[in-house]
Amino acid sequence: MNIIEPLQIAIEELSKLPTIGRKTAQRLALYILKSDKDSVANLIKAVTDLKEKIKFCSVCFNLSVDDTCEVCKSPKRDKSIICVVEEASDVIAIESTNEYKGLYHVLGGVLSPLSGKGVESLKIAELVLRVNEPDVKEIVLALNPDTEGETTSLYLTRRLKPLNKRITRLPTGLPLGGDLEFTDHATVGRAILNRIEL
Amino acid sequence: MILNNIELTNFRLHINTVLNFSDKLNYIVGGNGQGKTTILEAIYYLCTTKNLNQSPDSEALTFNESYFELTGKFKDLTEEKSRLVYSVETNKKTCFINEKQFYKASLIIGKFPVVTLTQSDHSITFGSPADRRKFIDSVISQSSETYLKILLDYNKTLRQRSSLLSLLKESREKSLFDEFDAWTETLIKTGAEIVKHRINFLNEFSEYVKNSFVKIMEGSESPEIEYYFLGDNKTDKVEENFRREIKNRRNDELIRATNLVGPHRDDFVFKISGFELRKYGSQGQHKTFQIALRFGEFFFLKDVLGKTPVFLMDDIFGELDTYRSQKISGYLREVGQAFITMTDFNNIESLHISEKDKIIKVEKGAVAYA
Ligand SMILES: [Zn+2]
Repeated sequence: MNIIEPLQIAIEELSKLPTIGRKTAQRLALYILKSDKDSVANLIKAVTDLKEKIKFCSVCFNLSVDDTCEVCKSPKRDKSIICVVEEASDVIAIESTNEYKGLYHVLGGVLSPLSGKGVESLKIAELVLRVNEPDVKEIVLALNPDTEGETTSLYLTRRLKPLNKRITRLPTGLPLGGDLEFTDHATVGRAILNRIEL
Repeated sequence: MILNNIELTNFRLHINTVLNFSDKLNYIVGGNGQGKTTILEAIYYLCTTKNLNQSPDSEALTFNESYFELTGKFKDLTEEKSRLVYSVETNKKTCFINEKQFYKASLIIGKFPVVTLTQSDHSITFGSPADRRKFIDSVISQSSETYLKILLDYNKTLRQRSSLLSLLKESREKSLFDEFDAWTETLIKTGAEIVKHRINFLNEFSEYVKNSFVKIMEGSESPEIEYYFLGDNKTDKVEENFRREIKNRRNDELIRATNLVGPHRDDFVFKISGFELRKYGSQGQHKTFQIALRFGEFFFLKDVLGKTPVFLMDDIFGELDTYRSQKISGYLREVGQAFITMTDFNNIESLHISEKDKIIKVEKGAVAYA
């Protein structure tokens, strides 16, 4: 194979992106090569701005342009509730429901000793400080319902219990409005085992 | 479910083999290395997408070929076609059910249930507790996707917790201990679910094994499978016992940096008329027990899934006396369709062959109906 070097480097870099295979990377590189100068400049600017303009909110660690994010700054948000999530992408997911009016706290992951994630590498100490504020009345744990997420919720519950605030979590199990018959068997099976008293 | 027909291309010695099966017993006869077990291997692939001996796919390829392909036509309520193609170039398998490609191997679970009785079942009664757990887990997993999911979660929790135990060996920080307690809680929760599943399963499954055992071996001998989790075989105290024991062993666990308590250390004790098979069983009793476990698995899955599994039996008759061979070939009538390999014809004469059975001779990858 003999591909001129700048093209090859571009292909290599693009194929490092998630879900982009070699063939797609090649097609993207050739597309960019054929594009006019302005649109390439716009693309480069957009990518650089991502890194240069976006930082983490100093309060909740959500993505932000300023030191504090739009959610934390907004006078309309209910400052008495903090919703704890793993990643900034979860904030986007909850925000798009328009159902939540409180604040967030992005942990930056979950406990996972195997991948070197412990209490120190998550924004847990920062969370405890925030929860300690007298204005805060409720903490919502909204971590993914997998082994690591569940364990992190358990840990946080124990750690936050002494602060005497209301602690809630999102229910797990069957999808609302979903059809029982179309839900995967393992989920239905677990829901049956963990059925609740009415 | 009945397997009517298979086609093998470039699969070990079989360059191109097409076989039509009987819906009763199919005896596949041939010398060693002639390609008779390969036919069972192909059937197993079509039912599970996996290799019967857990060897790499590339090993099943005919020498110097670039791909192998297997096709099987099953008859359940309707015809169901399973197809699998392996390519050397990508070292990948592509699998299809009714010509629709599927990407997750777990999607085939329960679709074409299969039960195998082979020489390697030796390890279930002779081997380590891990061998017995593997057997029990595979039967439960075939009947319950929920169990399989919980098992995967539990194994992940074990790995996470053991990684944390190694950290605790180096540093005894308070925050690490709090983290450790959280993982312990997850371990107890998922582990207890596993134990409860196992207890409920064995209550049911033991009856199936008993029934099969008497079919193979008439007489007063009766098999049992004993399972105690921390000295208890009831489901209501599992969490409580687990919690107590893990508290007791906490220091041990920290010193040895290993998960010492939980269902990953379970054993199942096989007994015949009250005597522990592993300690007092004769070779013959071991063999009978292994066979009863597999027949028990077959009838258990048939009832639970409401679907008749494919039954594969590899080279079992060679080791059995005439009495038990005849008993088993009689019992196979109740199974319905089965695939049985044998090394020589002399054995066959002592079995009750019916007109509807098929005898297939295999020699150097070529097949002929006898
Ligand atoms: Zn913020």
